[in-house]
Amino acid sequence: MSRPAVDRRRPPPPGVRRPFRFPPFAHRRLANGLDLWVAPFPHLPLVDLEIVVDAGGQHAPRHRPGLPSLHGALLSEGTESLTAPQIAQRMERLGGTLSSGVDWNVAGASASALAVHLEAAFELLVEVVRRPSFPAQEVERLRRQRLAELLRQRDQPRALAERHFARTVYGDAPYGFPLLGSEAALQAIERPEIVDFYRRHVHPGGAALVATGDVDPERLMALAEAALADWPAAEPAGEPAIEPLVLEHNKVVLVDRPEAAQTQLKMGHASVPRRHPGYPVRVLLNAILGGSFISRLNLNLRERHGITYGVRSSFVRRRGPGPFQIDSALATEAAGKAVREILAEVERIRQEPVSAAELDGARGFMIDVFPYTVQTLNDVSQRLEDLSVYRLGDDYYEHFPAQLADVSAAQIRDAAQRLLHPQRMAIVAVGPAAQLAPQLEPFGPLEIVSP
Amino acid sequence: MPLPLERHTLANGLRVVLHRDPRLPLVAIDLWYHVGSKHDRPGRTGLAHLFEHLLFEGSAHVRPGDHFRLVQEAGGVANGSTWFDRTNYYETLPSHQLDLGLWLESDRMGFTLPAIDRHKLDTQRQVVINERRQRIDNQPYGRANERLFELLYPEDHPYHWPVIGYVEDLEHITIDDVRTFFRTYYAPDNAVLTLAGDVDPEHALARVEHWFGELPPGGGVPRPAVPPVPAAGERREVMVDRVRLPRVYMAFDAPPYGTDDWYAGDLWVAAMSEGKASVLHQDLVYRRQLAQEVACYLFPTEETAMLLVLATARPDVEPQRLEDAVSEHLRRSAEEPLAEAQLERALSRLLAAHYSELQTLGRRADRLSWLTTFFDDPAALATVPERYARLTAEDVRAFVAAHCRPHRRVVLTVMPAAERSGSTP
Repeated sequence: MSRPAVDRRRPPPPGVRRPFRFPPFAHRRLANGLDLWVAPFPHLPLVDLEIVVDAGGQHAPRHRPGLPSLHGALLSEGTESLTAPQIAQRMERLGGTLSSGVDWNVAGASASALAVHLEAAFELLVEVVRRPSFPAQEVERLRRQRLAELLRQRDQPRALAERHFARTVYGDAPYGFPLLGSEAALQAIERPEIVDFYRRHVHPGGAALVATGDVDPERLMALAEAALADWPAAEPAGEPAIEPLVLEHNKVVLVDRPEAAQTQLKMGHASVPRRHPGYPVRVLLNAILGGSFISRLNLNLRERHGITYGVRSSFVRRRGPGPFQIDSALATEAAGKAVREILAEVERIRQEPVSAAELDGARGFMIDVFPYTVQTLNDVSQRLEDLSVYRLGDDYYEHFPAQLADVSAAQIRDAAQRLLHPQRMAIVAVGPAAQLAPQLEPFGPLEIVSP
Repeated sequence: MPLPLERHTLANGLRVVLHRDPRLPLVAIDLWYHVGSKHDRPGRTGLAHLFEHLLFEGSAHVRPGDHFRLVQEAGGVANGSTWFDRTNYYETLPSHQLDLGLWLESDRMGFTLPAIDRHKLDTQRQVVINERRQRIDNQPYGRANERLFELLYPEDHPYHWPVIGYVEDLEHITIDDVRTFFRTYYAPDNAVLTLAGDVDPEHALARVEHWFGELPPGGGVPRPAVPPVPAAGERREVMVDRVRLPRVYMAFDAPPYGTDDWYAGDLWVAAMSEGKASVLHQDLVYRRQLAQEVACYLFPTEETAMLLVLATARPDVEPQRLEDAVSEHLRRSAEEPLAEAQLERALSRLLAAHYSELQTLGRRADRLSWLTTFFDDPAALATVPERYARLTAEDVRAFVAAHCRPHRRVVLTVMPAAERSGSTP
């Protein structure tokens, strides 16, 4: 039986596109200021619940980096009526997990559980947010664990790069330390400071409850009313002033690991807050420069030169002026070449407009990949949390594709010129300093530190 | 909650699994080849994985660099991975781009040979060597994992060497090795293709037939010989690394993925180390504070399975003390059944994890290809919760008693470099 030959010469044309809309959700605000967001997904027997409050790492008091993070972790380590093991046991018997912590923007507690246990999970979540007791023994236990973690990070190339990059770009500002904090601060924090931090930052002002999964919005709203409407209102703390250091020229920091098999590189500078106008332009600029596998940086360093397994750039999304950064792990002997190529690519995207093909490609990806990024309960919760944290507006995801579609090559070049500074970067390399110093000296004054 | 499934086999032996879920306008395409690092041989380790890299460098009708570019421009996400028993290639695309994915995958199954050249091999060899340095050689404790496999399995056992290979072997791989590898293993009758998501099964099957139907079958793939694991005594080793905190690893050989024993082992793993309320976490991390962290893992591998227990010491805790504490838990697990509450907790966790994992189309497709590759049975996915649920505390005890015996274990201790003098035996 003969069959017609298959024409493989060019990519087959697409079929008919099916439209996609962000999943429906309900949004309501309680009188005390707490935002409630609920997205029902009845096809899975699971629920995800999260309460976020305005107690993120950005609120670290002076000389107390790590306080918000320690506080956030302690929320789920004991309440007025439950010990830490009781919380964990109760939650895990519901087929769930309960955890608490911070990022730079917010602190949060989240619970995921089998949907049949919604009420019990919700009750526990409210308990840890509203009635944490910060038991002294748990404070000491987490303090010791975190000091050990900081010690351990001194052997992790990525953590070391991150730490020295943050210090070089932000100095003593909250972003200048790891979220975990510094050894000195962790040793100095006293329990009353944690309690005080809770009093000032954990309240419904600027806070949100996000629920996704097999849950009826009306039922969840009723549960929330009953358990959270009497949470006393307070004003949000407002945005702290985070002032990056001003670098006059490129600055090279070598973190010396004499026998390292490879060099971890991180370079960049402070950039703009997530809410700064022009976010869609930054998304496309970054996608073309270094935000994907087929970006200019990755094709250059990995596919053309074979000197790395990968390189990525990003505008880190924060409420304050987060960094623009480029990360890679490289063959040590190629570090100088890599920095030269990276700086040249940054300069090129500032000088020449991106091609129509690149722009179409990046736009096509960013618009059409959206459904892929909202497949799980956690994905959708994160998107709703973003609406809340960055105050984006309920219809934001409806309009975002059109905003991307409107971006021009001229806007990208303009953004690159305003936002990328290849002459004022912190260039941090973690690896054998003896081999790295001669390669990286040409790029700026050089500081060698031990891990 | 069984997923709607269809299973077909094309005339050339390609097995096809179709799962329809039209909730999102996406299709996940997941192609498993039944070849992994266990088909590598000593002296040429890393070939299966290096080969996976080369399959992204173009085929007869797909220019170098176009694979990722075309998928991304279509709004898709693509990747591949290599493990002990298999290599997979996958993409999730907007569902109206199904043909694009099938064109790309069928072209590399049928037409990669003419596109492979020396230059691509050399570039990807360097990329892989950098991948190895990044993931293993430049990570604290990074070498421990492969050392455990080397110690637990004899030299001619196909799990003895690391998936990514040794640098020296990678440097010796030739273009002929690569070509022979492709001819031997990359054929429709050694593969499973799953499509999951917004697909009409009838249409999808016709498109699969269109793109893959003309590819000729291979000659069949012999399963590698798997020598028995010797019942030698305990094997111990101390490894010095750039770490601040010592870590103790214990490894045991256990029955392969899919057996009742394997499920009992996995339930034990969840009870011991998954979650803050797990046995080892409660005792070693929370109560006695000997460990910074604990973890257990049972590899879901096809020939046999390694069970791993690791604990990282808190500063100033002697690794021997930590090892003794872990050993005591193992002894107790072999003698006494788990507490019912602990069993129930572990089971709830595993069920929630199972449903949670199936949220993405990509993971669903991957699990379906996996079960079809190993057992020719995609419908087995629906029975996973029951496989766990019917186990008793006694089953779990019996697993530990049979497979976690001290005289058959490997104990590897990773010590900080500075403490080398004095602690060397």
